[in-house]
Amino acid sequence: MRMTGGGPQPRSQKAGEHLQLLRSLAAELERAMQAISSNNLLELEESVASQQDLSARLSQLAGELSSFPSAGSVPVTDSIPSGLMREIRASAAELEHLNLRYSYLLQHSSRSVALMASFFNSVKGQLKEVPGDRLKLQTWSCQA
Amino acid sequence: MRVNTNIVPNMVADLDQSQATLNTLLQEVATGKSVNAPSDNPTAAAQMVQNTLDAANVDRYTQNISSALSQVQQAGSVLSSVVTSLTQAVSLGTEGANGTNNNTSLSVLAQQVQSILSSVISQANTSVGGVYLFGGTASGAAPYAADASSPSGYTYNGNNDANSIVVGDSLNVQVNLPGSQVFSNSGNNVVGALSSLVTALQSGNSAQISSAATAVNSTIDFISQAQGFYSNAASQLNSQESYLQQETVTLTTQQNNLVGADMAKVAPELSQAETDNSAALAAAAKVLPATLLNYLAPPG
Amino acid sequence: MGGLNTTLLTGTQALDAAQAALQAASNNIANANTPGYTREVTQLSENAESLSGGVVTGGGVTVDGVQSVRDELLNLQIQQQTSLKSQADAESTSLQALQPLFSSTGEDIASTLSAFSSSLGQLSANPSSSAVRQSVLDAGKNLANSFHSVASGLESAQSAADQQVTQTVAQINSLASQIANLNAQLTQPGVAQQNGGTIEDQRDQLVQQLSTLTGISITQSSDGEVITTGNGTPLVMGSQSFALQTTTGAGGFQQVLDANGNNITTSIQGGQLGGAIQMRDQTIPGFLNSLNDLAGQFAASVNAAQAAGYDSTGAAGRPFFSIPSTGSAAAGIAVALTSGSQIASSSDGSSGSNGNVANLLAAVNGNMSSGQTPASAYANLVYQVGSAAANASAQSSALTQSITQLTNQQSSASGVNIDEETTNLIRYQTAYEAAARVVSTIQALNTVTLDMGSTQSY
Repeated sequence: MRMTGGGPQPRSQKAGEHLQLLRSLAAELERAMQAISSNNLLELEESVASQQDLSARLSQLAGELSSFPSAGSVPVTDSIPSGLMREIRASAAELEHLNLRYSYLLQHSSRSVALMASFFNSVKGQLKEVPGDRLKLQTWSCQA
Repeated sequence: MRVNTNIVPNMVADLDQSQATLNTLLQEVATGKSVNAPSDNPTAAAQMVQNTLDAANVDRYTQNISSALSQVQQAGSVLSSVVTSLTQAVSLGTEGANGTNNNTSLSVLAQQVQSILSSVISQANTSVGGVYLFGGTASGAAPYAADASSPSGYTYNGNNDANSIVVGDSLNVQVNLPGSQVFSNSGNNVVGALSSLVTALQSGNSAQISSAATAVNSTIDFISQAQGFYSNAASQLNSQESYLQQETVTLTTQQNNLVGADMAKVAPELSQAETDNSAALAAAAKVLPATLLNYLAPPG
Repeated sequence: MGGLNTTLLTGTQALDAAQAALQAASNNIANANTPGYTREVTQLSENAESLSGGVVTGGGVTVDGVQSVRDELLNLQIQQQTSLKSQADAESTSLQALQPLFSSTGEDIASTLSAFSSSLGQLSANPSSSAVRQSVLDAGKNLANSFHSVASGLESAQSAADQQVTQTVAQINSLASQIANLNAQLTQPGVAQQNGGTIEDQRDQLVQQLSTLTGISITQSSDGEVITTGNGTPLVMGSQSFALQTTTGAGGFQQVLDANGNNITTSIQGGQLGGAIQMRDQTIPGFLNSLNDLAGQFAASVNAAQAAGYDSTGAAGRPFFSIPSTGSAAAGIAVALTSGSQIASSSDGSSGSNGNVANLLAAVNGNMSSGQTPASAYANLVYQVGSAAANASAQSSALTQSITQLTNQQSSASGVNIDEETTNLIRYQTAYEAAARVVSTIQALNTVTLDMGSTQSY
């Protein structure tokens, strides 16, 4: 959100932007998880880039909005409307849920990635045949 | 051969998600709260525990202040009327000491002062909500009872203790003075002084009457100090009450932030969730084999 | 493997341990060269290896062989993650059922503790009123009942998990036996060539079902397929199956034994069985311990405050609450006073004094022997119960998506180009590292958001 000419952005306006960012970031997390499960690498990369921008701006805003010393020091005309505050908390809670699922998915998927990377790195691994006439067994092993 | 089952897990997952969303919103509408289970928002649920305790305590403190204030206010007005009575007794005594009275008028004056003493005693026995204001911490009987064997004709049956009432997390306020401190204090004995004035008037001795009237007069200052105690207690209680009102707002706001459901927001979300759920079920019905459909629970 | 962010949220300990097993088990992949199975691999031939750009290609395996092994790796992970998901689902179901015990219903511990505190506040203003004294006793009884309800709910959940252990072991044994039968059929002359594919499919489905019950490891021996539990207890060896047994343990719960009678309960990971054992032996006992500690310390605090004062007859205050000497403090906590007159409100023995009520209030609102207040100890427990459920549910959803990802990879028809795959993997690793940092940022955000708006008046 661009600053209008003149003084600093009023709190309620910042809070409104904060809410929008929370929702956008939540949407990006969903998008990234969808991209991961459909193996769409490009989509994932785009989403993560977007997430980085959004989360950076969110952190900054959250810091600005919460750095108020004590009750009564904020002029009543510049306080965040209680309805908006409630929406922010609800969106933040939802983002937290998504973030939890996202972090687990990243854990599992990155282990798969590591496994595959190890496999491809050691494609020249030894193959040995186990004696026996009915089944031919070959064993491949690698360090993961 | 590996079965390609990648369509089914997606669909079932979507279905589970839409059903879960629907269930959550239905619960919100029913209870008016957006957090039912701690799992919905563990941090909020944990914070609500302290909020619940604080809110109950603040509520109780407020009630305690309310009943304390009425005791304090009542005590203050008792003392005001006692001051009036004492002033009147002094002027009666002054009149009786001026040497112009005969036995009859002295006798009348004595009766008038006696009647003032009775009314002061009955004021000292005031109770509010079943609690005697000037009995110390004793309960049951009235603080002052008639006692022929006592020089003043009255005995104090209360005690010399005072309780402090809890009105804040670390705030206890004393709201009572025992009668033994106010009315029958050995240094400034209101009851004794009045009773002595009656005796003096009955005796007719001007010097005695004069000195008894002076003694009554000096208790007026003493009562004023007692009045100071009560008005000080009242202002402590009043400012604590204001603080608690702010606390109540803070706690209510916090509670709304933690668990309040914004009804205006929930209703449209609910209808969307119901649409989503129906759509997901319809889509699933087209794709999934019958056996799997039997497994899926119907909506609602 | 290094470089991947280790600050990602961790789930329940058992799920983490099971995931570590993924790493270990996947070190050995066996590629069975049986007819009907390796359709896409006609022959594994040796090629000259060449090194180009740091990536070794060729070597001892053809590209088709790489695809086959890759598919096997994918299969292994799908199977292992299916076990993990089943475990998460079992835990999630159990944990969801516990949530109402800790929700704000009016009869929960937070509500009854608050009412007890409030009743003591009333006692402060009315120390001589017998009605008020009685209401303090009643509030104490309601609080004790709240503890009972929670303890009882937790113990019921434990029993349910225990029953699940028995049922699941029976199902495991049944499946193992069926799988062994199919393996036996496959070894018979002629059967493999004619019906091998169908029997294989049947067996695969049974193995899939088995993996939802417990984490398994599949290898090939010269005698045929070997299926073990994650820690190596045999379930199937070719055409022979080995039954697990259950027996009642010292604590009254079912222990799982291998065919030789060894207790393998603590080593079972994954699947419904892993989930049930985790809930029964770790998660719920954790909650119960916290609850019992709270009940015991709370009672001790209040009783100490009683002992510091005098009741309305002038006698020294006796214990308000009783805790059983053995067994669950929360299940057995009770009000020991028989009359409101026994509440030790007096500080000096005189009946009208409220001097000791402040101590009683401090016991309820202030620090117990652990250094925590009753409210904050309980709040911690609420948080544990809530986040355990949220974690299990998130794990289940995440694993569903992960399994979808792996399944999609399996069904992609194109051959494996090692160069391209390796490049992609590096891109994935980079993206995941960046994503992990976003996860941390969002986590930190939550605490800050909770502070927003809390210091201003509206």
